[in-house]
Amino acid sequence: MSEHRSDERANGIDDAQHDVVVVGAGIAGSLVAKRLTQAGFSVLVLEAGPATAAAFDDYSNHVQAFYAATSKGPESAWPPAAGVPQPDTADIRTGDGYFVQAGPLPYGSTYTRLQGGSTLHWLGVSLRMLPEDFQLQSSYGVGRDWPLDYWALEPFYGEAEHEIGVAADVVDQTHLGLEFAPGYDYPMHRIPPSYSDRLLAAAVDGMTVNLGEDQLALKVRNYPAARNSMPRGDYRPVGAVDQRRAGQGDGHGLARDLGQRCAGNTACTPICPIQAKYNAGKTLAQADGRTLQVVAQAVASKIQLDPVTGEVRGIEYQRYDDPASARHTVHVARGRVYVLAAHAIENAKLMLASGLGSASGMLGRNLMDHPSIYGWGLASHPVGPYRGPLSTSGIDDLRGGPFRARHAALRVDVGNDGWRAPTGAPDSTVTDAVANRGLFGTALREHLRSTLSRHVRFSLNVEQLPSRSNRVSIDPRYVDLLGNPRPVINYDIDEYTLAGMAAAKRVYQEVFRRAGIKDCTDPEQGVWFPSVAYQGDTLHYHGMGHFAGTHVMGNDPAQSVVDTDQRCWEHRNLFLVGSGSFPTMGTSNPTLTLAALALRTARHLAKELST
Amino acid sequence: MTGPRQLDGSRRLEDFLAFSAEATAFTVFELRGTGQSQAYLNTCDGIVGTEVTDCLLDRYDAARSAVVASESTLPELLRRDILSDPQLGPVARNIAKMWFVGVWYELPRAWTEAFGAREGNATFVVSTQSYTEGLLWPAIGANPPGAKAPGFGSWAHPPRIPVFP
Ligand SMILES: Cc1cc2nc3c(=O)[nH]c(=O)nc-3n(C[C@H](O)[C@H](O)[C@H](O)COP(=O)(O)OP(=O)(O)OC[C@H]3O[C@@H](n4cnc5c(N)ncnc54)[C@H](O)[C@@H]3O)c2cc1C
Ligand code: SF4
Repeated sequence: MSEHRSDERANGIDDAQHDVVVVGAGIAGSLVAKRLTQAGFSVLVLEAGPATAAAFDDYSNHVQAFYAATSKGPESAWPPAAGVPQPDTADIRTGDGYFVQAGPLPYGSTYTRLQGGSTLHWLGVSLRMLPEDFQLQSSYGVGRDWPLDYWALEPFYGEAEHEIGVAADVVDQTHLGLEFAPGYDYPMHRIPPSYSDRLLAAAVDGMTVNLGEDQLALKVRNYPAARNSMPRGDYRPVGAVDQRRAGQGDGHGLARDLGQRCAGNTACTPICPIQAKYNAGKTLAQADGRTLQVVAQAVASKIQLDPVTGEVRGIEYQRYDDPASARHTVHVARGRVYVLAAHAIENAKLMLASGLGSASGMLGRNLMDHPSIYGWGLASHPVGPYRGPLSTSGIDDLRGGPFRARHAALRVDVGNDGWRAPTGAPDSTVTDAVANRGLFGTALREHLRSTLSRHVRFSLNVEQLPSRSNRVSIDPRYVDLLGNPRPVINYDIDEYTLAGMAAAKRVYQEVFRRAGIKDCTDPEQGVWFPSVAYQGDTLHYHGMGHFAGTHVMGNDPAQSVVDTDQRCWEHRNLFLVGSGSFPTMGTSNPTLTLAALALRTARHLAKELST
Repeated sequence: MTGPRQLDGSRRLEDFLAFSAEATAFTVFELRGTGQSQAYLNTCDGIVGTEVTDCLLDRYDAARSAVVASESTLPELLRRDILSDPQLGPVARNIAKMWFVGVWYELPRAWTEAFGAREGNATFVVSTQSYTEGLLWPAIGANPPGAKAPGFGSWAHPPRIPVFP
């Protein structure tokens, strides 16, 4: 008792003990919370940001914020609380945002620190990693091998696809060695490919491109998407979340009449107005409320260790009432086990700020992304862009193959959103037509009709390998309003990836030529993106929001931060979940894989906690 | 010439709509249907001042009357009398942009240098409705992102782009 009181004085107000303390209500944390509450354990979730996406009327205010924003970037719907800053795409150019960009190149990606996390504004591409992605070192002599193989994760992929609600047909996805459990199919049928996908497929399916000595045939394929489509079997699509605050509304967990199908709002990033696209709030709403406690506006700031056992004995957090102010009180959360699920950067940052996890020297290192190239052009006929989900198809054939011994693999995302991302169209098309082309009235409208309807955009996402020097670290000179460290990012793109980016550029040019699309790519005229010189060329790249590698998983404590259960080698009741655990990322967007890993960890924890 | 217009708000709005139809190639009915006419006129008045707006509407009125007896078409007259005018041209172009995008764009520096800085002259979305009512979207058979969803699977079909005269 006396010990308790001294704790209170030294470290803030002590909370009641839970079985599990989870830091972060993003997808990783919400999946762990859902599984473990359903298994009967008490779970406390600390969430740094406000819970304004949890009740539908509040969520709608975010939609309005998006409508009102002059620049409709990925973060425009999701302004952060004053004490919980987040990276913003607009800051990459100025370099004075939340990230301290320590170079040599700017890191181009962002995430969201609100309850629900970055899935609030993700696009929802939910590809599995290829079997060969797990053995990059033994297959091609580059990167690292995973300590798990594809088949160890396969059942959890299936589980994750059902938790998230992924729409796809297995028949479209079995290529490049990707196999599914016998009889398995996705919970929903594939999202219908767009009209422009179909035109593109008709023009390019079967064409070949050369990557090194490999000749690869291309096919435009529908990708697995975390957006609601026609259900398969007895699966019930999960629509919008509507958890009202106490005393308001009817406390209904999920709104049952909205978002059961994607309706083509064309705003998946930054915000799906009807929540047909998955966000982590859906998972959290499905947790067992009897043993779940969620504390929003609670920023985990320090992990406390028991000096004798080396185990974690509490997590300090800063609770604030007013999102506009830095005023807060300090508390301590206690559990039997602790799960950090605060995002790849924030997990590593919290460990570093607590002076933990340094034994292997790997914490914060191996930071990866998918540096990506835009190609944009004009089709010869109207293809109907600016409609439907931001993309529905891609070209996956360059994700695997022997060429990976020499340069990075890549995936082509085929946009339905015209030139929006690279040029700010269609708004910028209007301003350009009026200001630079002197168009007005009928000529203006005719110009918009005839050009915008032919806009085509590719984003070519290039694999990046782990490198020790790409890292997040902290520096006492750089702190936020609550006194927590801001992430200092060192980032570079090596020869292996640069060669992949150069190949990506060649690929889109060849595909455009084949499809009769006039290449209009001109990064100098488009939206500003960082660039890097390579072999006499300038490659402009954008980030994909695909952070990985910062608390790498492995079999050897000297070479990794967590084991295959995502348990921290040094502190055995501490787990770090998320894409920070990835040894490599291949070319798949990371969320489905991190969800599968989180479910695997949850299963392990349920077993361990009951013994 | 400006006197009567200032006294008669509805006449002013009618002229603004008629000029806007000329600027956008949408009909007055379509413009009125967006519910944004008054908001756009107010925005324009609020930033450049009613005198400048009235001057623009007067020129438009004059061009409309002159076209009957003129060799030139109305667009030609508008180009000569409004769009080429250093003060009225940028305002007219802003009105066109506002209808298409729902955004008031900051007037060019040359304009404020010549005619004085104006309070509130920054780039801003006129209102959340003006964003969703942008004419850009119907002009290309699309919906404004995040609103007016056309329904599941609609994107699999060719766009329906309305014809206009
Ligand atoms: C524009 C964009 C598009 C994307 N598209 C895709 C895609 O199509 N497919 C794909 O697979 N991935 C995509 N991603 C990536 C995807 O969003 C992330 O991989 C995923 O959301 C990460 O999940 P997470 O739970 O690990 O972290 P997050 O979703 O970021 O959740 C972390 C949570 O922890 C909270 N938190 C942070 N710090 C603290 C703290 N100190 N204390 C308490 N709580 C804290 C945050 O507020 C947040 O709620 C995209 C990302 C972006 C930016
Ligand atoms: S297209 Fe629209 S309805 Fe569908 S997921 Fe995207 S934003 Fe939601």
